[in-house]
Amino acid sequence: MSVKEQKMETSQSKNSIFNMEWVQKYSTFIVLIIMFVGFAISIDRFSTVFNLMNILQQISILTIVGCGLTFGFAAKEIDLSVGYTVGLAGILVPMLLVNGFDLWFALGVGMSAGLLVGVTNGLLVTKIGIPSLIATLAMGSVLLGVNFLLTGGRAIYGGLPDSYLFLGQGRLFGIPVLAFFMLAAVLLAWFVMERTVFGRYIYAVGGNQKAAELSGVRIVFYRTAALAIVALFAAAAGALLAARLGSGQPNVGDRYLLDGLATVFIGMTMFRPGTATILGTCCGALVIGVLDNGLNLIGMDSYVQNIIKGIVILVAVAIVSRTTRLKLL
Amino acid sequence: MSMVAGRNFTFAEVEVRVSIVFGVWIMSVRLANIVKDFPGGRALNDVSVAFELNEVHGLIGENGAGKSTLVNVLGGSLAPSHGEIYINEIAVKLTTPRLALQHGIAHVSQEGSLVPQLTGAQNILLGAEPRSLGCVLRSRELMDQAVSLLHRWFPDVSISLGRPVSELDVADQKIIEIVRALRGDTRILILDEPTAALQSREKSQLWEIIQSLPEKGVGVVLISHFLSEIRQLSDRITVLRDGEHVQTLEAVNATETDMVDLMLRRSGGQKEIGKKTSQPIGETQVLEVRNWKAGRVDVPEFSLKAGEIVGLIGLTGAGHFGFARSLYSREGFLSGSIRICEKKVRGTIRDIQRSGVAFVPDHRMENALMGDSSVAENLSLVHSDFCSSRGILSLAAEKSEVARVVDLLNIKLSSPNQLVRELSGGNKQKVSLGKWLFGAAGRYQVMIFIEPTEGVDIGAKQEIYRQIRALAEQGVGILIASSDLLEIETVTQRVVPFVHGRPGKSIMANEFSEARFIDALTGEAA
Repeated sequence: MSVKEQKMETSQSKNSIFNMEWVQKYSTFIVLIIMFVGFAISIDRFSTVFNLMNILQQISILTIVGCGLTFGFAAKEIDLSVGYTVGLAGILVPMLLVNGFDLWFALGVGMSAGLLVGVTNGLLVTKIGIPSLIATLAMGSVLLGVNFLLTGGRAIYGGLPDSYLFLGQGRLFGIPVLAFFMLAAVLLAWFVMERTVFGRYIYAVGGNQKAAELSGVRIVFYRTAALAIVALFAAAAGALLAARLGSGQPNVGDRYLLDGLATVFIGMTMFRPGTATILGTCCGALVIGVLDNGLNLIGMDSYVQNIIKGIVILVAVAIVSRTTRLKLL
Repeated sequence: MSMVAGRNFTFAEVEVRVSIVFGVWIMSVRLANIVKDFPGGRALNDVSVAFELNEVHGLIGENGAGKSTLVNVLGGSLAPSHGEIYINEIAVKLTTPRLALQHGIAHVSQEGSLVPQLTGAQNILLGAEPRSLGCVLRSRELMDQAVSLLHRWFPDVSISLGRPVSELDVADQKIIEIVRALRGDTRILILDEPTAALQSREKSQLWEIIQSLPEKGVGVVLISHFLSEIRQLSDRITVLRDGEHVQTLEAVNATETDMVDLMLRRSGGQKEIGKKTSQPIGETQVLEVRNWKAGRVDVPEFSLKAGEIVGLIGLTGAGHFGFARSLYSREGFLSGSIRICEKKVRGTIRDIQRSGVAFVPDHRMENALMGDSSVAENLSLVHSDFCSSRGILSLAAEKSEVARVVDLLNIKLSSPNQLVRELSGGNKQKVSLGKWLFGAAGRYQVMIFIEPTEGVDIGAKQEIYRQIRALAEQGVGILIASSDLLEIETVTQRVVPFVHGRPGKSIMANEFSEARFIDALTGEAA
């Protein structure tokens, strides 16, 4: 016990560099505003309505993935298979549509596949006791293989119904339909997390699993549910992604792993530092969206963009680790 | 003398070193006025002890008395806040375990520090392996050196040093650790609970080893919670209590009753802590336990009436905590039956809780609280159904119930949104109790407390006691497992002493006295 207390002592003194509370809470906002203003001044095309709608469309799918991951992080579980789950749904749905199945049926199958992946992840973690980091890493490899087997490595396109494409490409009142899906996902996720017993228990399991268990919370159920929700949101995002691209491709989901984690980590620097929140994740998605869009407009090499994004993630995680012990394994 | 080259030593260090190198063994190690402060409070307060090289020096005290902190200071793992360590009457700073080792002080910790995959020989010489050209291991020489080390120290012991230590039994592993600790110029060997994991028949060999060390010029500092062991092995015994040095006594003159007495007796000053109410006890049996076996606990029969407050006491490891914990969490459960209000209960924590048992555990930050969540979220965790319908929270209902509990327990906070980890120990403990009062009117027939006032200031203690009594008046049967005898004497009406995992004869309130408790704890009850 005494050694632990001493560790606390040293970690407290370490925090003194970052101890200004408002810096912790609002630094990400400030960075976002500076970035936005900077791009607006230096790039003519940046602050046009057209481009802003474009950003909205670009971050919609990412935000949906991020909202799902937030449930996982709230329960202190990570899902590294999330990108491939996006890919799986983004293949299954167009595949069924191309073969003449009904839209609702295709979407239903896509979502069910996501749920199945998530529940499997959850049971591997809770029942067998594999750390989620490892279980979902392996699951990712499995899904990668499945995705390529399903498609034979080729894109699925042609003959997709307009009603489906409208979901990803259409506009309502001049606003991308995707943005409405994003709004719905955010509101739903926010409500569940902040206003239901279910959300409280997800946070409780992540906050102190032992205490939650001794308080009568069914921890196995809530940990499994958290991972199931991650995959469910990822599957929805995948179905919308294929609609936006107009085709099902085996490897388009991959980038949503890193970008999705980035939104959550950036979000964890604000509101309740160290805790994943839906609003924080939304801000994180905005940071990533503005950054991507601005750098694209400047004409920055996409490899350099990767480097910049990696650094952004590291900075966010560094800030989070300063305030709390980030523990995911 | 090559040791001195390449580093600047203070004069004192050189002198100590010289005395070692020239065979002038260090004659004494003395801790003077050691104070150690942690963020949570003072662990050691002005402790002075001298350790000799020709003795086994026992160190006893209850959990939290400061034994481990003291040996960590001596072994260089913790720096004292104040005070000095003298070797041959020269003050030295032992800032790392390595430095302590260079001064001849080695520490064998309780948990074990062997690498399980490596052989006994490799473990003994870990970090000091014989090599050629600075990197190539010389395996045969390693084996020879390890064997000769073992033989030099303990000629009667035979352990197969070529096998991975994970295949050896626990006693042999301990001996290997001791040989490794003796590898250098060790003069003081600290052994922290060396026999804790051993069967009784394995202990005797280790006991002989420990007793043989002073003849070979190595003083032993021995921590153990087996008092008979301490009395048999030690020449002198130092008793610590609440971070203070109580007394150092000659082992030949000490009885176990004396030792327990010194370990537990509180100073008279804090006696006036709330007063006892003699309230009527109901007739209903709220808790009935039969043939309960969990871990080392074996309780043939135990019962609790409505409104009754029963205390469980015992020395460290006697099973009073384990029994209380296993009733709720089923930790280590083997067999037995439990009835709440005459209804049989089986199954999970949820089932036990639903049938009317609340549990306020010890080590609240690990077992009860979410430190990074708000007070409100912690309080509403157990009975979130009270402030929700169909799973949807009513923040207004939550807020008013939180306000009621905060007011009832007098929890001091800046706002209900304050994070629990920012609260003081007493207020944290109140939140840990408050969880079971939030929206819980009439839900519980039994409440189990383990160390209900661990690390809690006097004011908060009284408020917690008042709350416990109020619950009993409402007809809740209360079980308190505590190592604080004054607390037990103040709050409970009946005490069940535990010895070696078994409950002794109940002590009723009119027979309460410290002497009576202490007799019962050592199993010497009349």
